[in-house]
Amino acid sequence: MSMVEFKSVTKAFGSITVLKDVDLKVEAGEVVVLIGPSGSGKSTLLRCINALETIDGGDLVVDGISVKEGRSRVRMIRQEAGMVFQQFNLFPQMTALGNVSFGSRKVRGLGRREAEEQARELLAKVGLAERGHHYPSELSGGQQQRVAIARALAVKPKLMLFDEPTSALDPELRHEVLRVMQQLAEEGMTMIVVTHEMSFARKVGTRLIFMEGGKISVDGDPAQLLDHSENPRLRDFLQHVH
Amino acid sequence: MEFDWSVIADAMPTLLSGARVTILITLVGLAGGMILGVVAGTMRAYGGVILNAIALAYIELIRGTPMLVQVMFIYFALPMLANIRVDPLSAAITAIMINAGAYIAEIVRGALLSVNKGLREAGLALGLPTWKVLFYIIGPLAFRRMIPPLGNQFIISLKDTSLFIVIGVAELTRQGQDIMSTTFRAVEVWSAVAILYLVMTGVMTLVLRVTEKRMRIL
Repeated sequence: MSMVEFKSVTKAFGSITVLKDVDLKVEAGEVVVLIGPSGSGKSTLLRCINALETIDGGDLVVDGISVKEGRSRVRMIRQEAGMVFQQFNLFPQMTALGNVSFGSRKVRGLGRREAEEQARELLAKVGLAERGHHYPSELSGGQQQRVAIARALAVKPKLMLFDEPTSALDPELRHEVLRVMQQLAEEGMTMIVVTHEMSFARKVGTRLIFMEGGKISVDGDPAQLLDHSENPRLRDFLQHVH
Repeated sequence: MEFDWSVIADAMPTLLSGARVTILITLVGLAGGMILGVVAGTMRAYGGVILNAIALAYIELIRGTPMLVQVMFIYFALPMLANIRVDPLSAAITAIMINAGAYIAEIVRGALLSVNKGLREAGLALGLPTWKVLFYIIGPLAFRRMIPPLGNQFIISLKDTSLFIVIGVAELTRQGQDIMSTTFRAVEVWSAVAILYLVMTGVMTLVLRVTEKRMRIL
């Protein structure tokens, strides 16, 4: 069984069709990098997986559960699919430790002590062991994003979705986030990443998908596609992001 | 013109008992108004079509009619319509409750919607049901933003209790009027009444300011 399976998924916002009959299978352990021009549907595709967007046609099955099965089943999908946002979206009224322990307490039902102990381990893993008592506003963008990754991991997902995780960061802060993502990939986490970081795609990605106009137009090995793609629009796109 | 401030000393016990009634109506009315307002405001911000429509109808009905008419309706019309007898004090408290509730609903809705949509998505993405996201994440953030406009509404509601003179509730303005009609000391009596209102709104403002300071406003 695939971790994620899109079966001719269609999604429209009003009169604009953002996803057109998308078929896609992602297997456990894959690190899929999604690229494409803005408006090509890559973020929407990602957000359909954990049902932050509802699909209009076709079916989408995540770890055996369809996004169309209803609210409580959708919550189970969300617990299996952690998400990291471009704008971090940390809870501003909670410390880093509070943010990371929140999910395991309120979703997995752990007690405070157990949840905080686990949160400390996760913060250490993302290199922020010393920052647990800081509020998001007291952290740099790179640190906030690493806390956000730890927060998503605390619910123990099988799959991680990254929606342009480094786009809101200064260039010098990006590598610290990318390093944590690489480490996750090396541990075998299934990941789907919308990004413009081509070095990450090459080094960490097991698969590169190029989207345009709501469709997947190229799907293959990252290194090969980045160096010699047959698709002229992908080559053109890559020239602009490099 | 001569002033006789000794009138005030004689009137003070009566005025203070009026102030107590004013405080009672305000506190009970606002407590109920907060509950109504939070429920209706949440229905407006997060409810489906039906809940939203119910809340909207309530808010528009109440905001669109004068409170004086509302309290007259509760006190004089309800007994004829449904054979419900209400004493003046209950009518007054109910009027403040439904009136403040409608305005507070809009304050609550505005505060809920002002919280960054991304935080709601982050909460949902963890696998929480919407009510938990509202309760643990959006609610606390929204509450901090509600305090200044709530302060306005609290003060308005307190002063609105003076309207209940029309149904004969023995609140502060009514007591002032009674003393006036026996002493004819307009300047002294109405000054005293005004000062008592100022003291009450002043204390309210102070309490709200302290609450606001104690919460980190984000």
